[in-house]
Amino acid sequence: MNSKFSTKETWLMAALLALLAGLPAGCDQDGVKVYKVADQDSSAATPPTATAPAGMTAPAAGDQSAAPQLKWTLPDGWSQKAAGEMRLASFSAPGKDGQLVDISIVPLPGLAGGDLNNVNRWRGQVGLNPVQETDLAGLAKTISVGDAPAPLYDQAGTPPGAGVKTRILAVALHRPDMMWFFKATGDDDSIGLQKANFIAWLKSIQFVATAADLPAGHPDIDAQATPAPALAAGAPDAGAAPALPTWTIPAAWQSQAPSAMLLAKFTATENGQAAEVTVSSFPGDVGGLLANINRWRRQVALAPLADADLAQAVTPLTTAAGQASVVDITGTDAKTSQPARLVGVILPLNGQSWFYKFMGDATVIDHQKADFLNFVQSAKY
Amino acid sequence: MPLTRLIKFFASLRLTVVLLGLGIVLIFSGTIAQVHLGLYKAQNEFFRSFIVFWQPDNVAWKIPVLPGGYLLGGLLLLNLVAAHTERFSLTRKKAGIWIIHMGLILLLVGQLLTDMLAHESTLHLRVGEARNYSESERAYELVVSDVTDSKAAQIVAIPERLLQKQGTVSPAALPFSVRVLTYDLNSALTNQAADGYDPVKVTGGRGTDGFWLKSIPRETVMDLRDLPSAIIEIVTPQGSGGTWFVSAYIGTPQSFTWQKHTYELLLRPERFYRPYSLRLEEFKHDVYKGTDVPKNFSSRLLLNRPETGEHREVLIYMNNPLRYAGETFYQASFDPDDQGTVLQVVHNPSWLTPYLACILVGTGLVVQFLSHLVPFLKRRRAP
Repeated sequence: MNSKFSTKETWLMAALLALLAGLPAGCDQDGVKVYKVADQDSSAATPPTATAPAGMTAPAAGDQSAAPQLKWTLPDGWSQKAAGEMRLASFSAPGKDGQLVDISIVPLPGLAGGDLNNVNRWRGQVGLNPVQETDLAGLAKTISVGDAPAPLYDQAGTPPGAGVKTRILAVALHRPDMMWFFKATGDDDSIGLQKANFIAWLKSIQFVATAADLPAGHPDIDAQATPAPALAAGAPDAGAAPALPTWTIPAAWQSQAPSAMLLAKFTATENGQAAEVTVSSFPGDVGGLLANINRWRRQVALAPLADADLAQAVTPLTTAAGQASVVDITGTDAKTSQPARLVGVILPLNGQSWFYKFMGDATVIDHQKADFLNFVQSAKY
Repeated sequence: MPLTRLIKFFASLRLTVVLLGLGIVLIFSGTIAQVHLGLYKAQNEFFRSFIVFWQPDNVAWKIPVLPGGYLLGGLLLLNLVAAHTERFSLTRKKAGIWIIHMGLILLLVGQLLTDMLAHESTLHLRVGEARNYSESERAYELVVSDVTDSKAAQIVAIPERLLQKQGTVSPAALPFSVRVLTYDLNSALTNQAADGYDPVKVTGGRGTDGFWLKSIPRETVMDLRDLPSAIIEIVTPQGSGGTWFVSAYIGTPQSFTWQKHTYELLLRPERFYRPYSLRLEEFKHDVYKGTDVPKNFSSRLLLNRPETGEHREVLIYMNNPLRYAGETFYQASFDPDDQGTVLQVVHNPSWLTPYLACILVGTGLVVQFLSHLVPFLKRRRAP
């Protein structure tokens, strides 16, 4: 075929065209996203602005917010009022000659423009001229919001046309994805009366975690900061709330409140020594029998088993719900470095894996292993 | 023939030298510019652009002063490809050079892909808290949620890139259009008249509460975030559905009803949802004994993925990120009270390309070196 271009030139032009065609296509990332979000996550607010209930302490935000909650102790004479606008909470405090001091909490995303913009905004509100970044440090007095240090800006002046000297106490607390503004506004004398209370109130403030958005079908998550049991990566130790079986609990066992990931927890004690029974359940085989037995082996500081050794390490246990596998191992508790024994039962049932673990003092387990296995067998799912 | 001359020009070594020289100038000036512009703005103006402009103070016009990163990178790529078609022939002697150049091409293409496809976001968790999304540190989105079904809201998220064009957006999932009347990338808001602030005038929602708005320059400091505000109009087939003020300062959704469906409007940091959640079990901030000098930061998290039944603990600490489902979670920061962690989430589908490119370049160097060394040694041994 006759061509005006050589093969090399054709290749080069093809490369150039591909580059030119690819650039705009690749640069076009302006896509509108459409998706469904289950439950309350429809458009969870970034800064929480829920109205805080009356009382001495109040949560900062509704369940929709992933932001921390606040707790505080109100000083005497302060009263809470409707939050409104961008405020998380609003309060009134008595001032001089029947005047009131207005106190507010406003959380904003990011660092909300930085301290300089905000200080100058407050200065504008009391009729003062703006300052430069270098002047900020001289204006700030460090106080505590809870345990965190934060700058307090005390600005007073007479706004044009006001005739009365107005004063603003404002604190900007930087947190990683939220900036919290605590502000008291009133006439100069009233603010002077309430300044000590304002600082004491800030000191009483605590941030508390909340529950947040979860994927569809996600198990509930305890909003409280509950330490989870020590887990080895790769396999869970405790599960997410399927229906609890009914079972016969040995009389000597004491029921304990299960932590967030457990379905049930009991303690068996003898002569001051103790062992703990935990029950959990997860969908699927959670890594399989070998992975879970090796996880338990790591908890008592034993080397993992090879696949070939698995058959020797487990004994079968017949339960009403099906055949389970039992492992009985003795070693050293990886957390406490004390001698420990672990009897574990794994029962696959209806697409779930049930984990029963009896771990602790070897003598207690020796005496009560039969009770433990009876307990497992008694479970009705 | 003009085309042949054009190819010769693109394939010339002189062009390579000029481009590399300009690259040095660009990198130097882009680095210095970060002092005043901040990292993100300097990156955008110098490296994510075709031309770098200089704008004198108080004037509207700009002067082009340097080729930008896209232009230089594109020309270097073209130069390299052209040189191969024009000058280099694939022979055993030149095999090393070929491999090196393939590595360089991969590096350039990989960086372009990274720039186009990668995004970073942050995941902030308090102890005991779980989330299945992270948020952009810089970009916002306007969320229009159909919350009629209380069990599952339909979210339509319009990215800031579209909003700032101030046009009309008509997502297929919505029975109306959203017309962006104004969009301030960074704004200051107050609830009383103040110098330099304009009153917000809208017909519905929180904007009618009485706000005064001022557009302010974008933040250039790394730790600071822009707080955008916008006035939008809901445009239905029957006409205007009213104007609304949305702002990063207004954290609660504003709702309205259209054709028996309830919608909510919210301007929020852009979110990246995942089919799994991470829950912060424990955050550790270890210091060297007797000092406040940090020794280690670590986050123990519970990864939960209902669809696969995956439910396991992961530990993220400095230099030990979690790589999962095509994303990397780095330990980035923490709360002052040590009860919360901030993870940086990097989604970069082409993260392997620089590694592969370096392997190629390294291999090419070795091959080229050996292809000279071996004959040289042979010649020396020859009597």
